[in-house]
Amino acid sequence: MLKIKFIIALVTLIAAALLFISAVNNDGYGPYKPTPLAFKIPDGWPKPPTNIWAKNKLTEEGFQLGKKLFYDGNLSKDGQVSCASCHQQFAAFATYDHDLSHGVNNTLSTRNAPALLNLAWMTNMHWDGGVNHIEVQPLNPLTAENEMGETLDSILYKLKKDPSYPPMFKAAFGDPAITSQRMLKAIAQYTGTLISCNSKYDKVMRGEATFNPYEQNGYNVFKQKCTGCHKEPLFTDNSYRNNGMPLNRFNDIGRQKITGDPKDSLKFKVPTLRNVQLSFPYMHDGHIFSLYQVVEHYRTGIVTEQPTLDSSLKERITLSKKEKNDIVYFLYTLTDSSFIRDPRFGPPMYYVPGKLPDHVEPVRDRQ
Amino acid sequence: MNKFLLHKKMYGLFAMILFCMCSFSFAQPVKRGTLKVTFVQTANGKDIVLRDSVYTNPFGETYSVNKLKYYVSNFSVPGSAQVTENDPYHLVNASEESINSFEIQLAAGTYQNIEFLLGVDSARNCSGAQSGALDPMNDMFWTWNSGYVMFKMEGSSPASNADLQRIEHHIGGYKGPYNVITPIKLSTAAGHEIKISEGNSTELIIEMNLDHYWNNAAAIKISESPLCTTMGALSKKIASNFSGLFSIKEVK
Repeated sequence: MLKIKFIIALVTLIAAALLFISAVNNDGYGPYKPTPLAFKIPDGWPKPPTNIWAKNKLTEEGFQLGKKLFYDGNLSKDGQVSCASCHQQFAAFATYDHDLSHGVNNTLSTRNAPALLNLAWMTNMHWDGGVNHIEVQPLNPLTAENEMGETLDSILYKLKKDPSYPPMFKAAFGDPAITSQRMLKAIAQYTGTLISCNSKYDKVMRGEATFNPYEQNGYNVFKQKCTGCHKEPLFTDNSYRNNGMPLNRFNDIGRQKITGDPKDSLKFKVPTLRNVQLSFPYMHDGHIFSLYQVVEHYRTGIVTEQPTLDSSLKERITLSKKEKNDIVYFLYTLTDSSFIRDPRFGPPMYYVPGKLPDHVEPVRDRQ
Repeated sequence: MNKFLLHKKMYGLFAMILFCMCSFSFAQPVKRGTLKVTFVQTANGKDIVLRDSVYTNPFGETYSVNKLKYYVSNFSVPGSAQVTENDPYHLVNASEESINSFEIQLAAGTYQNIEFLLGVDSARNCSGAQSGALDPMNDMFWTWNSGYVMFKMEGSSPASNADLQRIEHHIGGYKGPYNVITPIKLSTAAGHEIKISEGNSTELIIEMNLDHYWNNAAAIKISESPLCTTMGALSKKIASNFSGLFSIKEVK
């Protein structure tokens, strides 16, 4: 009995010593005390199709690291192009007033940069849905010759040389090691929490505001003629459809390139319409510059002689001139001005692990 | 709560942990040994040396190899419930710096069969950013159409009509009709079973013979298919030869 007690005491002592050693494990970056962040699903919204936080624990430190990476031009080959260059907060994280976006060495993209919002509800990324997880999406813009043009090796080398990063990786992940996996998970913590749910439309749904008669009529028409694809409350059903535009100058066949199936020719992802007022120009190649022209496309512009044209658009969409105007008024109610001004999503001013800048609030309760 | 009580509680906690550890080892009386699995790559009966030798495929086309990498994963040994690996994904690389050996823990016993996947299982293809063998830094991940390149061979051949007479085969695809993930089942010869005993290490050497890559279920001629860099029908056709690539070379 005495012997057992002795063994227990010994084990206790060793365990305590181990705990002590790990607690004061001194790499100069302070202790690892991550602040968990809650991911709140706005009232009335569906659950995201997959829980992207199951293997990527959402923390304040991870979010802040992801934000810093998102705004860091050093992730590109020439140090000039950051994620935020083409995904601007004031444009709901699309590229403002650009049909195509600019990459390193004066290059141009071949598709319109989509607005980044409510990505946790998106099943696949990109216009063609080629990216199957939010974490691996950045690999494309980081390495594409006409976007950020960099290699993963070189990015990690630069991050390791930048003294501000190792402490942030430690704060987010427990030790200062900088790996591609950690970088990608951190970026996902930022992009995956860009939630826009505070537009006038949302306030009306919550009973905090009312539509004016034009908006209300627009909403009524919208519910009859548009929600088949732009399903509330996310304003997309995450499907791929041919909405009747001809093959463009880049011979962009869309979804077919991913699936290899001719039935998917000219199909593109149904984009969300949240903040659509800010994310102009429109369509996958940005060739339509105004919302009126977009609605007009569905009214009169659809190229109906296409075998893969969506069945709901074969007769185009019948709209009176008033209905067309009212739909646009309604679409304006999807603009979320608090989202585009939220300092939490804005450029990082400075960051000290364990201390948040004054303007950064802890996770907001998004009702 | 006073300090004494707290200490007493912790004392109890550690006793409990100790108890759990003991009972765990009692509940698992299985003896284990180590199986070291090694992959060697051959063509025309000799080991493949990158950028060096010239080989001939079954159609008489000569070629050399600059790059040869492939994933093997999810090893299992029928009859042993105890296959433990720290990481079930391995990238075999024919480059001379690469070791291409790894260890798995098996229950002691005698085994005739070993099974694994050529490729990365479909679930792991869509589970976000990965590390280790699956780190995108290994240049085996398609970014524009997410998914792993399961088998990558690059080289050159006078039979190739592509730029610089190159061969570029990046074989991948994890879903639907273009899934190239191939289960491999290998059996030992009679009298050469895999014997695992506690504390001992047994080595299993698996040979990947590139001769079968060109001609097994399908005939793949360099003159017709020097390039295959997307998932699709050609990728699938080449992958139909995968099942014949591997054999057990030696158990020691």
